[in-house]
Amino acid sequence: MTNAMNNMLNDLEALLVLKMADDKLFLGHMQSDWTGLGPILEEDIASSSMAQDDLSHALVLYEYLGNRFDLDPDVIAYERKPNQYLCCDLATVPDDFNWATSLVRRWLFTHYAAPVLDRLALFEDKELAERAHRLRAEEGLHVEYLDDWMRRLGSSSDEARDRIQEAIDLLSTHAGMLFEIPGRDIDTDDSFCCGRSELFEEWARNTNGVLEQTELKMQVQLPGMEIVGGRSGVHADHFAAAHAEMGAVRSADPGAAW
Amino acid sequence: MSGAANPVMNIDPSLEDQDKLAEFEQRIADGVLIEPGDWMPDAYRIGMLKMAEHHANSEIIGALPEGEWITRAPSLRRKLALTAKVQDEVGHGQMLYRVSQDLGKPREEMLRDLITGKTKYHNCFNYPAPTWADIAMIQWLIDGAAIMNQKTLADGAFGPYVRTMHRINMEEAFHFKSGEDMVLTLMSGTKKQKAMTQEAFDRWWGPSIMFFGPHDKPNCEQLPPMKWRMKTESNDSLRQRFLNRFAPAALDLGLLIHVCEKDEEGMVTSKKVDEACVPDDTTGNWGVTDPDWDEFFRVIRGNGPCNAHRVALRRFSYEQGAWVRRAIASGTSSLPPAA
Repeated sequence: MTNAMNNMLNDLEALLVLKMADDKLFLGHMQSDWTGLGPILEEDIASSSMAQDDLSHALVLYEYLGNRFDLDPDVIAYERKPNQYLCCDLATVPDDFNWATSLVRRWLFTHYAAPVLDRLALFEDKELAERAHRLRAEEGLHVEYLDDWMRRLGSSSDEARDRIQEAIDLLSTHAGMLFEIPGRDIDTDDSFCCGRSELFEEWARNTNGVLEQTELKMQVQLPGMEIVGGRSGVHADHFAAAHAEMGAVRSADPGAAW
Repeated sequence: MSGAANPVMNIDPSLEDQDKLAEFEQRIADGVLIEPGDWMPDAYRIGMLKMAEHHANSEIIGALPEGEWITRAPSLRRKLALTAKVQDEVGHGQMLYRVSQDLGKPREEMLRDLITGKTKYHNCFNYPAPTWADIAMIQWLIDGAAIMNQKTLADGAFGPYVRTMHRINMEEAFHFKSGEDMVLTLMSGTKKQKAMTQEAFDRWWGPSIMFFGPHDKPNCEQLPPMKWRMKTESNDSLRQRFLNRFAPAALDLGLLIHVCEKDEEGMVTSKKVDEACVPDDTTGNWGVTDPDWDEFFRVIRGNGPCNAHRVALRRFSYEQGAWVRRAIASGTSSLPPAA
């Protein structure tokens, strides 16, 4: 591990950016795997565009960190140890090519990403604020698009509603950990830019606002501060599989240019 | 990615109304584009549908071998480029199914016919892509071949297909550039990367030579597919153009051109340098050892290394997504939200 990487991993402000970048990387990674396999050709194309947005957002944030800590964005993205990634478990839960799981995952996440990007866009660091502002505009389209699908499927056939409810039941158990604060030194609720309780309340208000227009239900509690997970580098088993697959080609010939 | 099709077309113009047929042929000779609402011989409609449907099928099947490598792409930029590239192929499929729908066949029926084996797709997608370098070869050789073929198809006579070819060709040019850059990067890389690239080239050179279809009949220019400008250049002429472009380019990159024996899984078991792959002193045209056409027809009949796998994955995707399509059809909205 280089000094530059250590410097980044020990900078609490950088960790706020890194957790969003890692979420975006793995969310885009999981969703890009659907390209060519979506349920409707038009939706295949649309969801692939959103996966590309997420991967691009990760790249934009890794580039920011790379500039700041003198690191190659690909090295940040690909060459950390598993416990140095700060994505939440929600991003890497296997969807087993179940469209309902894929949709609900993205929907739960986008309602988190939008307000976090709002807050990052207010940072004093102009470069970060400008990057977050740019990403937020695209995130807004994700919110709108995914809300629309949730409303449609959540109030169409019994079959669709049941499938979406099942996906909500599966994924909502991971949703609370979106709000885990990275950096073990932070132990107050409203530290840094992302007041944890306030952010959770905003997320819950927005997601429930959509669900109220359907026959779907979701219950998520904000986990206690003592519970550690992905944001602290403690990942569920499925993260290891996603991480290994992502680096399979690159790690086969270390140092090679691709 | 995929090229058009060379579907077998048994067209008998003598069954058509001869006056209308003469007028139709005159319009084509005058360079007028034929539109779906215009009179056309039944054989033309059937042939064009078969060609556009085969091409659409090839696009969405062609998305599969490359799609399997998105999650393993070795850098963020390659991952983004590959995802966008595979997405383009799906988009090409969508456009070509729309062209086919205009010719009278519903999309759902075309997708069902594809997964039940009633209709075919381009043969080259029945070969394996076991390494990252195979993805580079597909984008360089197969997309390169597809561009050559599709440029001539953009000069055809059926308006919707011609306009779609123009749009597709613009995107294919990006795919080819991406493939060229990948091959160049790999061949400028480590020993391991160069060896992997040569092995992938050995696997894809043969299918690329066969890409344009079997040798033409001697009177191909007088037969309906070319006479009616459904296609505008013969298979052999396109193949020659491909050879003249790619054989010297491969050698310049440091690749060797081999004649290969393969096992049932499409993996090379033995190879020797293709002595015939040299330019002709007089014409400058590059030669090549004639590929194994028995293999070509064996693969078309469904017995290639990956036929079953490709169709099974498409079937899986079709079945997995059925509930979404049912929900959209039975809900209050009849269409998915716009992209």
